Amino acid sequence: MLRPAGLWRLCRRPWAARVSAENPGRREITSGVSPRGSTSLRALNIFDRDLKRKQKNWAARQPEPTKFDYLKEEVGSRIADRVYDIPRAFPLALDLGCGRGYIAQYLNKETIGKLFQVDIAENALKNSLETEIPTVSILADEEFLPFRENTFDLVVSSLSLHWVNDLPRALEQIHYILKPDGVFIGAMFGGDTLYELRCSLQLAETEREGGFSPHISPFTAVNDLGHLLGRAGFNTLTVDTDEIQVNYPGMFELMEDLQGMGESNCSWNRKALLHRDTMLAAAAVYREMYRNEDGSVPATYQIYYMIGWKYHESQARPAERGSATVSFGELGKINNLMPQGKKSQ
Amino acid sequence: MSVNGAVWGRVRSRLRAFPERLAACGAEAAAYGRCVQASTAPGGSLSKDLCAREFEALRSCFAAARRLHLKKKKNLGGSC
Repeated sequence: MLRPAGLWRLCRRPWAARVSAENPGRREITSGVSPRGSTSLRALNIFDRDLKRKQKNWAARQPEPTKFDYLKEEVGSRIADRVYDIPRAFPLALDLGCGRGYIAQYLNKETIGKLFQVDIAENALKNSLETEIPTVSILADEEFLPFRENTFDLVVSSLSLHWVNDLPRALEQIHYILKPDGVFIGAMFGGDTLYELRCSLQLAETEREGGFSPHISPFTAVNDLGHLLGRAGFNTLTVDTDEIQVNYPGMFELMEDLQGMGESNCSWNRKALLHRDTMLAAAAVYREMYRNEDGSVPATYQIYYMIGWKYHESQARPAERGSATVSFGELGKINNLMPQGKKSQ
Repeated sequence: MSVNGAVWGRVRSRLRAFPERLAACGAEAAAYGRCVQASTAPGGSLSKDLCAREFEALRSCFAAARRLHLKKKKNLGGSC
């Protein structure tokens, strides 16, 4: 599906076989070209990317788009904080899975020279928020980036990598397109996100229907995130976690907000139908088990922020063994040692 | 989604009334929630229809709330 020339460039999509109705969960995805023959499993296909695109398009076309933006705005501002923490200017930056551009509105022209905004949903790119940085919008999938090696000084990604099928490969691609001494700053949902909703639905479904199916998508654990970044080739990793708790009047409002954010379930193994009885039961369980004093119910969003650098000779490296000039035993006298310009090992 | 979204719109408007109806059945909902929560305690096990009685009470209250909600909607003269 090619669009006329102009701002939009559709990147080459992978050819995939038609899904058979009998086993939607098991499917091989055949893609065009992998940047450097990565060893990740080719059969990893958890999410229906086409459906996710439709959901994000639908969400971006809502009559009041700002109504559901609160979470992404907050995380976007925290990522912008982290960008400012690095005392450098980035001539060329990339925002992966940008949505309506929540990070760009907090950044300024001095820090970022030019910003490329990439998302799979064209409606989100069309309604992007105002920013003073010159931007180029590109329609592309996070797993199949149409960029050359060593292009970007900075890659940011806010709350979109949790819908990626092959996360190791996406991180490898990000590493590939970064320049040496480039940095990747990302935010992803963590394992504890929406645990209240997950538990309530699980209990209600077990009691009402005798079994349960997953309604919340699987999230990456924090240890795995470190390993993934290391495997992708990133240096000097930093992963920290943050929890945002949002109070809602009830479970139905929470589910409506999640849908408005474009975060509806799109896994292949999702159940097509959630019975009204089960929803009612889950709402009752949610309220009873988790409600606050004022009657509202909380929903937890656990966010992992990760920072990884692409290797460059100027970056600090561990010192050679045996090159210590001061012993640990003299740590008590550190005040005397420091002004002399010596560094303790 | 269909051509004009009529079915979807109708179902959604019914769903939007759920929070209000649930709020009208606070006691029954709390009873059901307590029953399920009790089964999660160590030593309890959750099986199908363990709290069926509480859920039936909740369901009938919920259905009654629907009649009340529809009557209120008719009195207000608007669509939800």
